[in-house]
Amino acid sequence: MFHYDVFVESLQNLPEGAEVQLAVRDLAPGLHKYCYSNVKALVSSDAEKYEHKLQVRFGRGQTHSVPYSIKILEPVERIPERWR
Amino acid sequence: MVYLDNREFMKALDEAGELVTIEQEVDWDLEAGAIVRKVCEEKGPSPLMNNIKDYPGHRYLGAPLANYRKLAISMGMDADSSIPQIAAEYLKRTSSPPVEPVILPKEEAPCKENILMGEDADLFLLPGPMVHDGDGGRYLATWHFVVTKDPDNGDVNWGMYRQMVYDRKTMTGPLLPFSDGGKVFHGKYKPRGEAMPFATVIGPDPLSAIAASAPSPIPETEFTGMLMQQPVSLVRCETVDLEVPAYAEIVIEGEILPDVSLEEGPFGEYTGYRTSPRDLRAVYRIKAITHRNNPITTISNMGIPTDEGQLLRSFSLGLEMEKLLRSQGIPVTGVYMLPESTHHLVVVGVKAIYTNIAAQIAQTVFGSKLGPWFHMVLVVDDKTDIYNVNEVIHALSTRCHPVNGIHIYQGVGTPLYPFLSAAERKKSVGPKVLFDCTFPLDWDPLSEVPSLVSFNNVYPQHIQEKVLANWEKYGFKP
Repeated sequence: MFHYDVFVESLQNLPEGAEVQLAVRDLAPGLHKYCYSNVKALVSSDAEKYEHKLQVRFGRGQTHSVPYSIKILEPVERIPERWR
Repeated sequence: MVYLDNREFMKALDEAGELVTIEQEVDWDLEAGAIVRKVCEEKGPSPLMNNIKDYPGHRYLGAPLANYRKLAISMGMDADSSIPQIAAEYLKRTSSPPVEPVILPKEEAPCKENILMGEDADLFLLPGPMVHDGDGGRYLATWHFVVTKDPDNGDVNWGMYRQMVYDRKTMTGPLLPFSDGGKVFHGKYKPRGEAMPFATVIGPDPLSAIAASAPSPIPETEFTGMLMQQPVSLVRCETVDLEVPAYAEIVIEGEILPDVSLEEGPFGEYTGYRTSPRDLRAVYRIKAITHRNNPITTISNMGIPTDEGQLLRSFSLGLEMEKLLRSQGIPVTGVYMLPESTHHLVVVGVKAIYTNIAAQIAQTVFGSKLGPWFHMVLVVDDKTDIYNVNEVIHALSTRCHPVNGIHIYQGVGTPLYPFLSAAERKKSVGPKVLFDCTFPLDWDPLSEVPSLVSFNNVYPQHIQEKVLANWEKYGFKP
């Protein structure tokens, strides 16, 4: 059961244990499933390393067979203030 | 017969056996999309889904116009009308004088039955389906149109630009710079640092949707009236200076932001592939949602043929080309774009009275505003039935000279072409090809032009008539 998923062009976009900025999708069932959040996070190819399970998808939607884990550090706002 | 909304249209579909009503719960997360996909691939009846998981009171209508029977019904014609009959009616109506829309007061507009503003306007309160597994998000807008306005001359555009739900207040989607809406956004609003107001219309009446998908130079508000043969009823939006069809099911209002882009895609596209990669695309920030009671979200499921985007875009692209070619005095006998080609291949019948007429046809249509949306022109003579795939393939295989009959051109294309390289897609370049399937005019008709061997061509008239008159007596079915 994954908590989030993320689309990447290659696995190099997910450096082990380094802080990265990602657009992740919330996979929790219900009305808001697939809602995007922009976050700073740590990710690992060890599915047990961080609290939340992360499904990795590639550029055309293909799923990566290896489950990752993610620790969300903080949200990032990408819409300029004047449009919010 | 004019259908003011999809509710009336669905009754007509039902009477013609083109509607299936599903009462059991359907999951918005892939199940609804899978149903619509299968319907498209089987050219089946439209599914009306009355019970959507998590969304009581909402309904889906899938594949509303994905076969020619539904198209005929939408135009008030007999469901069994032939493609040439539907095309003739379309050409007649869309060559008539433009019909101006009328503006209804808000109280008379069903799309205002529910108005959500501010924090209440949450995109996740609408049942945006996850159409295909692997899509970048929930695509609320698959059979819909986006209303925008030119800030200088006030010209209104209705365009079908896909929109993915990003978060509660945001949608994202491609706004190609050579589309009508894209030209205004990239050419005017964006350089000025201004947001472009938009209104997304989901669940429009069938003829408004057809008008929005047609590449006509006539404003869609008037084009719809021409198709309807009466004015389309519009109503003013709540938060933006735009008008929308009063009988639409759902309207989303907001602004396209000039200085920010966010991820969109991938998405199963009309070419039958996921071609264009996930990328940073236009950002639609919403301000309000209005909808009818028990609203019906329309779903088109792009993929391998045939969905309504492929069918209607092919239909209208071909017929707009026919108008263009006739306006240039080119003696075309008909134009038909095959939906199975995902509106990439157009067949043009012509009375070839001068040399290089096929090249003239190709250069005219490739160089027009229709050009970016297709890349193959196949020109046949006036004896070939352009609607008969067997005859067209026969003409291509036997009359197109591999060296002299195939001509390559460079032009503008969409980044959705599956055969393009990533670099070509980025630049929207569009290589194009002409297949000239006419025999050279300087060949002697008696000694050089091959004679077609067919029932209609190699038997005397009286023998043909005798065989046809006795056909059932021989034991064949009529």
